[in-house]
Amino acid sequence: MTSIDVHDLTKEYGTRRAVDGLGFSVRPGRVTGFLGPNGAGKSTTMRLVLGLDRPTGGTATIGGRPYAALREPLRRVGALLDAGAAHRSRSARDHLRALAASNRIPGARVDAVLEHTGLAEVARRRVGTYSLGMRQRLGIAAALLGDPEVILLDEPANGLDPEGIVWIRTLLRGLAADGRTVLVSSHLMNETASFADHLVILGRGRLLADTPVREFIDARVQPEVRVRSSDTAALGELLARHGHDAVRHPDGAWTVRHTRAEELGRLLAQEGVPVLELAAHEGTLEQAYLDLTAAEAEFTAQPQEV
Amino acid sequence: MPFVPVLRAELIKIRTLRSLIGALAAVVLVTAAFSALASAAPDENDPDPLFSAFFGISFGQIAAIAFGTTAVAAEFRGGALRLTLAATPDRPRWFAAKAAAIALPALAVGLLTGAVTLLVGKAALGAEGPTWAEGLRGAVGCALQLTLMALFAAGLTAVLRSGVATLSILIPFLLIVSFVIGDMSSGIADFLPDRAGQVALHSSWDGPLGPWTGLAMCALWSAAALLAGMWSVSRRDA
Repeated sequence: MTSIDVHDLTKEYGTRRAVDGLGFSVRPGRVTGFLGPNGAGKSTTMRLVLGLDRPTGGTATIGGRPYAALREPLRRVGALLDAGAAHRSRSARDHLRALAASNRIPGARVDAVLEHTGLAEVARRRVGTYSLGMRQRLGIAAALLGDPEVILLDEPANGLDPEGIVWIRTLLRGLAADGRTVLVSSHLMNETASFADHLVILGRGRLLADTPVREFIDARVQPEVRVRSSDTAALGELLARHGHDAVRHPDGAWTVRHTRAEELGRLLAQEGVPVLELAAHEGTLEQAYLDLTAAEAEFTAQPQEV
Repeated sequence: MPFVPVLRAELIKIRTLRSLIGALAAVVLVTAAFSALASAAPDENDPDPLFSAFFGISFGQIAAIAFGTTAVAAEFRGGALRLTLAATPDRPRWFAAKAAAIALPALAVGLLTGAVTLLVGKAALGAEGPTWAEGLRGAVGCALQLTLMALFAAGLTAVLRSGVATLSILIPFLLIVSFVIGDMSSGIADFLPDRAGQVALHSSWDGPLGPWTGLAMCALWSAAALLAGMWSVSRRDA
């Protein structure tokens, strides 16, 4: 199987370090979310993996070989970097035909990916007439053209409508289920949480986390339970008596930290407090991410210059 | 990576951009039209039958330059080059394919331009026109010159990474340097790419370069520009 392996990767632009001693692996069979604020080095890392930029130090390989050493690379690796890569005056179909020809990909694949990305109807129209969402779909079509086992997508959900976001989520899950290696960058947490199994998180060009999504959230966010009773006073008294860390909301509901719904439900039943609502609130990726970056900010308060 | 699929891809790119087809059409039309005008009123003081017939190349070559420039400049917009180089990581090979994909249609259109211009010129000039022998040399020279200018522009565009920059250097250069400094003739101006190449379009010449050495000089310029372009594309981050 084909992994992306990044080892001690560094890229300097002048005196600025866009990528700084980065090391991680992207494994097949799962979607790896590539997270970080704008300017964290996600796109630079992707360009380095694709051999488009030359690293200042370190290596990036795909299946153990540098990208530039791949024969007909589109058959092994598909990438979306810029939605604007297709010339505005060319049709989507002609754009993909030229790409396919360069890697001897059969012409039937062009029509297949146009169909797959929902562009078949507009394939002969000039790309300049497309919306941003349609251009994104064309970029994804180009990435899928060679039926590659490794797929890198830089902010693929940019400009997609809600339907498109659902579509790309399904697409990414499907690609991973096929056993492909899928790396998807984003700065949107909820979106990433909806499709990623694993996370690689960057901040200022450095690796902040390389972890399964579930573990990342569980380690950083305490679960909470929201509870509401017709007898608000009794509920408050009970929570206080059992020493729960609870906060009362204006609507009379309480948020109880460091407990689980099963535990609290049993307690309420024992004490005979009537329950109107009892809901477990799982931590979100966003909360976990903010927790991580807040911790990180303490260490890197000053700008990172070399 | 084999060369032919990359060349095929680049030819598809050229064929599917209307602006490039338009530039090639303009090469034929502009060259023939200005030649016809010049032939209708040939220069009485300094009659050069062949150059009267091929006078329009000074304008046609601007279209050829626009063709070479646009074909390469399209890669430097919106991250197109990244996609191209992701498909073809062997950069020198990619650039060679791009140059070939520019040269082939430019040469074909150049030959057509040469033939049409010669026929128009001979028809308009009648007895004062060029002989068939020198006319044939002019037609072939015209084709080569147009191709070489397109390639020169292509190489320069790859160095400058911008079509606008290339055109704003080359067009004033051709219009001003060639017409103004060129008229003083002699010396360095004779070795500039367009002047050197156009010796092949004259019935008689008195500079250091003849028709074929002139075209070779022009080819040297184009080769230098292409090598610089290849070096720039290979060396820089995409």
